[in-house]
Amino acid sequence: MSLSCLDCGQRADRVFCDLAPEALHEFDSIKSIQNCPRGTVLFREGQVARGVQLLCEGRVRLTVCSESGRRMTLRIVSPGEVLGLSATLCGGCYEVTAEAVDAVQLAAVGRKELLQFLHEHRDVCLQVVNLLSEDLHVAYDRVRSVGLTRTRHSHGQHTPLTH
Amino acid sequence: MLSPYGLDIVESCLTCKMRAERLFCDLPTAALQSFESIKYATAYPKGAVLFVEGQAPRGIFVLCKGRVKLSICASDGKTLILKIAEPGEVLGLSAAVSGKAYELTAETIDPCQVNFVKRDDFLRFLKEHSEACFKVAEQLSEKYNVACHEVRALGLSHSAAEKLAKLLIEWSSKNGESMKQEPRLKLALTHEEIAQMIGTSRETVTRLFADLKKRQILQTKGSTLVIRNKAALRSLATTG
Repeated sequence: MSLSCLDCGQRADRVFCDLAPEALHEFDSIKSIQNCPRGTVLFREGQVARGVQLLCEGRVRLTVCSESGRRMTLRIVSPGEVLGLSATLCGGCYEVTAEAVDAVQLAAVGRKELLQFLHEHRDVCLQVVNLLSEDLHVAYDRVRSVGLTRTRHSHGQHTPLTH
Repeated sequence: MLSPYGLDIVESCLTCKMRAERLFCDLPTAALQSFESIKYATAYPKGAVLFVEGQAPRGIFVLCKGRVKLSICASDGKTLILKIAEPGEVLGLSAAVSGKAYELTAETIDPCQVNFVKRDDFLRFLKEHSEACFKVAEQLSEKYNVACHEVRALGLSHSAAEKLAKLLIEWSSKNGESMKQEPRLKLALTHEEIAQMIGTSRETVTRLFADLKKRQILQTKGSTLVIRNKAALRSLATTG
């Protein structure tokens, strides 16, 4: 996998990465590449958001957790998606825990740099709004499957999606 | 100007006194003027359906006054209330941005003022005003947060009692009552609607309220609910 976004052969196929040349150069200068082994916790639910991680290679599991420590998988993220976007933009805490399912390569960008980058590149800001909308669609689907399946069946039982 | 539903309609966003307090509305002057030219101020009675889950997105609805129930539905007709939207929220946002069908049904539970913006106009507005784009991103992020919270509450709670206790605690913290010895809540929803918020039946909610009253954890005075034993309610919220 390429260390520079400029040489990446996958760029055109990925929603966030397919940036205009000027924006791409700037993104390349503010990102840092991280390689993490399988099982690495990239960020934890409740932790103050430090920035986003663009997934270049591998898969990441997003989970939510109850007070008692039970976990439920929200979804598996594929290459090209941006992790921690909503929490970073809000300046709040991560809503989910992200854990590498495979060995992963990430392009990490700190919150301050990301906000500055978005202010300077209106097209990317629109792109981000699109990504957030997609994330929200998936989250609503999950609410529907969890909430309405459980409504139909017994309420006291654990969902088979927990692990 | 008074509308048929007794609402004091704010015709212009430029003169709206609530603007500064609302996340989306607090726009720079140029963006606000542009928004003003594309929005339609509309008054709705209680019970009006703004949009239906599955419908192609026509545009966005900025809720200026009143409250709106947002729900999702199963194919067998079972309903789950995701949240009650308050003034300042933008409804139908992710569908309008992505062009996918509305994921939720939005129904007014009070007489409401809503500023409607057609999808094409809204997308053009976002392209021209990056500040507005940021505000939309913030709103979407908040909605994502709510959706994750909902998945957690519905999927990982052990019992309906736990979910009801969590909901009551959440409401009391939202209306600033949580620090009081005996927080009070104005119950705006029916038992049926509360059941739809926590994914259970109306009968279960009625039984749980009766049980909580019997155990002196809650007390009702008309439509006001008094939390008499906060510690016991909290314990129920964590242990079920």
